[in-house]
Amino acid sequence: MDVLRSRRFRTAAAGLSLTALALTGCSGSQGGESDALTVWFPGTNPAEVELMTDTIVPAFEEKTGVPVEVTYLDYADLSTKLNAAFAAGNAPDIFGHGPAAVSDFVINERIEPLDDYVAAMPESDQQDLADAFTGGQVDGSQYLIPLSIQSAVLAYDRSDLREAGLDDELDVGSWEELLEVADRLTVRDGDRVDRAGLLLPSASPGNQQTFLTLLASAGGQLISDDGQRSAFNTPEGLAALEYFVDTYQGDSAVGNNLGAQWTDSPATQQPLLLDQAAMAIMPTFRVSSLLDADPEFEVAVAPPLPLGDSEEGRYLGGAGPGLMISADARDKDLAWDFIEYLLTPEISSQYVEGIGAIPARKSAVDTPYVADDPLMSDYVSLIPDYVPNPSVPGWIVARDSMAAILEQALNAQLTPQEALDQMQVEVDDALAQARG
Amino acid sequence: MMSTTLRATAPPRPAGAAQNGGRRGPRRSPSSHIRMTGWLFVAPAAVYVGVFHLFPVLYGLVLSFTDYSPISRAAPDFLGLDNYAVIFADPEFLNALRVTGTYVLMVLPPLVIGGLLLAILINRPFFGVGFVRAALYIPYIISLTAVSLIWLWMYSQSGFFNQFLDAFGLPEQRWLLESTTALPAAAAMRIWTALGSNMVLLLAGLQSVPKELYEAAHMDGAGRWGQFLHVTLPGIRPVLTFVVAMDIIWIAQGFAEVFVLTRGGPLGSTTTVNYLIWTEAFQYNQMGSASAMAFVLFACIMVFALITVRSMSGRNSR
Repeated sequence: MDVLRSRRFRTAAAGLSLTALALTGCSGSQGGESDALTVWFPGTNPAEVELMTDTIVPAFEEKTGVPVEVTYLDYADLSTKLNAAFAAGNAPDIFGHGPAAVSDFVINERIEPLDDYVAAMPESDQQDLADAFTGGQVDGSQYLIPLSIQSAVLAYDRSDLREAGLDDELDVGSWEELLEVADRLTVRDGDRVDRAGLLLPSASPGNQQTFLTLLASAGGQLISDDGQRSAFNTPEGLAALEYFVDTYQGDSAVGNNLGAQWTDSPATQQPLLLDQAAMAIMPTFRVSSLLDADPEFEVAVAPPLPLGDSEEGRYLGGAGPGLMISADARDKDLAWDFIEYLLTPEISSQYVEGIGAIPARKSAVDTPYVADDPLMSDYVSLIPDYVPNPSVPGWIVARDSMAAILEQALNAQLTPQEALDQMQVEVDDALAQARG
Repeated sequence: MMSTTLRATAPPRPAGAAQNGGRRGPRRSPSSHIRMTGWLFVAPAAVYVGVFHLFPVLYGLVLSFTDYSPISRAAPDFLGLDNYAVIFADPEFLNALRVTGTYVLMVLPPLVIGGLLLAILINRPFFGVGFVRAALYIPYIISLTAVSLIWLWMYSQSGFFNQFLDAFGLPEQRWLLESTTALPAAAAMRIWTALGSNMVLLLAGLQSVPKELYEAAHMDGAGRWGQFLHVTLPGIRPVLTFVVAMDIIWIAQGFAEVFVLTRGGPLGSTTTVNYLIWTEAFQYNQMGSASAMAFVLFACIMVFALITVRSMSGRNSR
């Protein structure tokens, strides 16, 4: 029996030891080896992952002799995992995110200002990357290094225009004129719109981006220049929102599927390709993907149009997702070396080609990727007309509040003026709270 | 009982032990050895439960009384009951509670009644009964996120349901885009997913009811309905209570289907409390108020689950 007891004891002790070992393993540092550079890369695009894994990381490791541990994160998980890492004190040396998140990292002193590193770059590189870099700044300081430019543009199906007896090269001078064309392109069955003449993203938070496109095209702006308060409750804002609502409400509605989230759908499920819409505002990479799905599809991109009394139009666009250096990074110079390596013309070019994005470098306009692709050439030529979402503390809360109220306006639960008034209160409150 | 048995079979103390220089140091009795061994066996699970279940819950409770953002370098700032006061004055949270309650009421009755009917149906031998049982259970073992993605397509403008309506000349519906249909659409998917689980549990309950009771009821002149009311239902009451309580707990925590199908829209009509907690915690980094919402949800679930258990198990009637 003593033997039995002893065995029991040893078995139990072994079990306890294994548990302790397992727990110890679970609590290990995410960073792995202390001398490795840890990178959390935003996105799980296979082309992106392959380029990083097979080309960029091995080349950088060979050049510096420093191991690089890259973790690829889906955007949906990014904030959750970063928050957990910050709370646990083991954030990666380099991590990626979209420009909207940057200002909150800044006010919480989680990321490193990169002005000195940028200033040390050759002047030619700074000029070449200037369009992208602007969107990575907060209060005039560089924090995010965008790896590409992104935008949403008005795309249309040329064949639909021809069928409606129109020139298949869209020739309108304003959003108002566009609405008249959209009316001719709309296919109705009684009150129902079977094919949208003009489809503007209306799902949250895409509706806020549509509003910004229209607002900027009307000559207005979302946030005051000092980033402290809203600036959209103006005649320009009212004109923009009334236009947006009119595309979905009333007898002359030209949109359908109000509230549907289609911009994230794959190419084969895009309303333009399925002939559920003749014209639509879409992310540029999604427009290009239509040709991948159907090379015969006759898609074209319209120039930005003014609204109301404005003389020039705008599209939402600017810096795409990029990389930041953690304020707690062990070797910030090494982290910058990695980012700078990604920005070299050759690597940068491979990266944007892999994900089908607009190049961050102006000089890429001469590369075959841009020059041989009419759509990409259009996107690049429109860069001066892109207007980004604000990058101010509290922006995400402000954006979501706007999106919720815009949804009510689009569903005719609020008049455009009531919506603007409510949005002003919510946005001012969110910005003030974020600033403390 | 167990310790008595073991003590009875314990071997006599070895002779050498009595000759141990007469030293009377502290000796462990056999029962203390057994207790010790028992504790050691339990320890791994206890440590796991303590570290990964109890500690996070208690830490969440502490956070619910604080203002805390994980991206802030500042420690949680104690606020007392402020978070609770704020969320109870927040129309969005009150709406989420209402949506969650409605969702439970939409899903629970069909889930329990449907599960019971299916269990009765397959509680008899017929050709292919094994296949039918497996087919009905499969939706439950598929990831809810994967199921939600499939149903997202089925509810889309050109999806299965609209194609089905179109085949009969009926107009297409905006299933997930109208505030009147979005929650019922999500509920329908949840019912389809969980029906198999309820069916299997209730089938086990049905098979535990002694056949003799049915024979006796039959001898006493009870028809099928009478047998169901007076034999089946009382016989499966413990399982039924368990099923209803667990369903309330799981349905009230609905998140994945809302996240994939509607993102809380349209117009907040599908914003469940769990979805709002996720938004508050991981979109806006407000861990304090998110934790407060979580504990209010926990309290609501506990109260309703307890009421269900007490009323269904008949403990009040004692």
